[in-house]
Amino acid sequence: MNDSRKVYLDHSATTPVDPRVVAAMLPYFTQKFGNASSVHFFGQEARAAVDRARREVAALIGARANEIVFLSGGTEANNLAIRGVCEAASGHSRHLITSTIEHSSVRGICEGLGKSGWEITRLPAYEEGVVQAEDVRAALRPNTVLISVMLANNEIGTIQPIEEIAALVREERARGRRQLWFHTDAVQAAGRIPLHVDTLGCDLLSLSAHKLYAPKGAGALFVRRGVRLVSQNVGGHQEREKRAGTEGVPGIVAFGAAAKLAREEMAERSQHDQRLRDRFEAGVTERIGNVVFNGDRGRRLPHLSNISFRFIEGEGLLISLDLQGIAVSTGSACSSGTLEPSPVIRALGRNDELARGAIRFSFGKDNTEQDVEYVLEVLPRVVEKLRALSPLNREEMGRRDLEAIGQN
Amino acid sequence: MPLWLLTLIALTYSEAFKDHLANPRNAGELANANAVGEETNPVCGDRLRLYLQVKAGRIEAARFLAYGCPPTLVCGSILTELIKGRSVEEATRLTRKDLLAALGGLPSRKQHAAALAIETLRAAIASV
Repeated sequence: MNDSRKVYLDHSATTPVDPRVVAAMLPYFTQKFGNASSVHFFGQEARAAVDRARREVAALIGARANEIVFLSGGTEANNLAIRGVCEAASGHSRHLITSTIEHSSVRGICEGLGKSGWEITRLPAYEEGVVQAEDVRAALRPNTVLISVMLANNEIGTIQPIEEIAALVREERARGRRQLWFHTDAVQAAGRIPLHVDTLGCDLLSLSAHKLYAPKGAGALFVRRGVRLVSQNVGGHQEREKRAGTEGVPGIVAFGAAAKLAREEMAERSQHDQRLRDRFEAGVTERIGNVVFNGDRGRRLPHLSNISFRFIEGEGLLISLDLQGIAVSTGSACSSGTLEPSPVIRALGRNDELARGAIRFSFGKDNTEQDVEYVLEVLPRVVEKLRALSPLNREEMGRRDLEAIGQN
Repeated sequence: MPLWLLTLIALTYSEAFKDHLANPRNAGELANANAVGEETNPVCGDRLRLYLQVKAGRIEAARFLAYGCPPTLVCGSILTELIKGRSVEEATRLTRKDLLAALGGLPSRKQHAAALAIETLRAAIASV
């Protein structure tokens, strides 16, 4: 074992900041430090930088610059989108549709709305981890205000049928319905697959900077012109009255620079990530038995792999890999401080054992072939070691032996 | 999953803990065991199975199998080290605190793993 070797395979949690992005943001700490709301030169310089970044972020998703609201990250974007739209409509309607595999922020927001009297429909994602647009149609009620379905899942990477859902919303509007909006959380998808808000057809879309090689603390919400929402931060006129508070200029500049790079390098990056991911999955299949791949493998983000290792629990595997310098993530209950294993994996109909043994490997642009080879060398050993401890393993083997000799 | 919590957990495990996780002692079945105990944590599903070979009131050999989060695996490993060579009577007096002390402590949320290990030990002793 090489003690100093570190392999980061948790790019869905966060990414390292690209040095080009750091270079772009640095002047905005010490030289161009103005408040973007100030009238003087310093303020105007900061304002111009924020507006340039706004155009870059808009370009990443095919939006207009004035449809982008900068805020602190994906969670705040989801809060502003869902709570903002629901508050604006709460006078007349109180139903919203979401899915069982949303990010914890969306789950939490919907739970909160449920407690304050909103009716929530949570759509199933079936065994493949993909919501069906037909289920949205069936769930629609006359008083439905908002549909919030993520673009790609954060644990298993499955891509949801956003365009089909948007087509349903358009049909409803063609029938004269006015107060029905469609939000999608694109935090995991942005920068990894091409996105265009007009093709997608959504009205609101959440983005986070730190998933695309920019720093933590910046994010954006796309709000299509004409969508009414109530600001969740009050006390200032920033961001067209949608998000009060002094703009975090360095973070926004970095987000803009990272969005530009993501747009220019997307094809190259996703090919790279996918090549490593596919090589990794082929290696796992070849070297480790009793594994289950979670999520529709033909309909996933290119950089992500979620695998349940039978007979063992995710956190033991995570920490054993960590001791060998490999960083991954797990939906195991022990790790999340709850007693329920990953609700996403459970939503696929997997039993507790599979949900507890699920590990997410997410690749990034700086990973190399050597990283994959190192993980493929360490992982089978660690899995084997943990399985040697497991009573589940033996029962299964025992049962199979019995079946083989016809005693069961 | 909240990453901060995971980081906290990773940072709070002792060196002894990591060593037992990376190199579990006395893992596996014991062919000539004459006492076996198995307990399951009804809340999280963690399981521990303990095999003992008891001769003339003394624990000659102990091995374990475990399924669950790292504290459960590590408690199984440490437990076998603590009881090997002891008299059954001494082993009966072993408590959760002794186990926690041997592994350099556990975050409070994880201490149930030590309780599971002691229950399993008592079940195994009762089966002698």
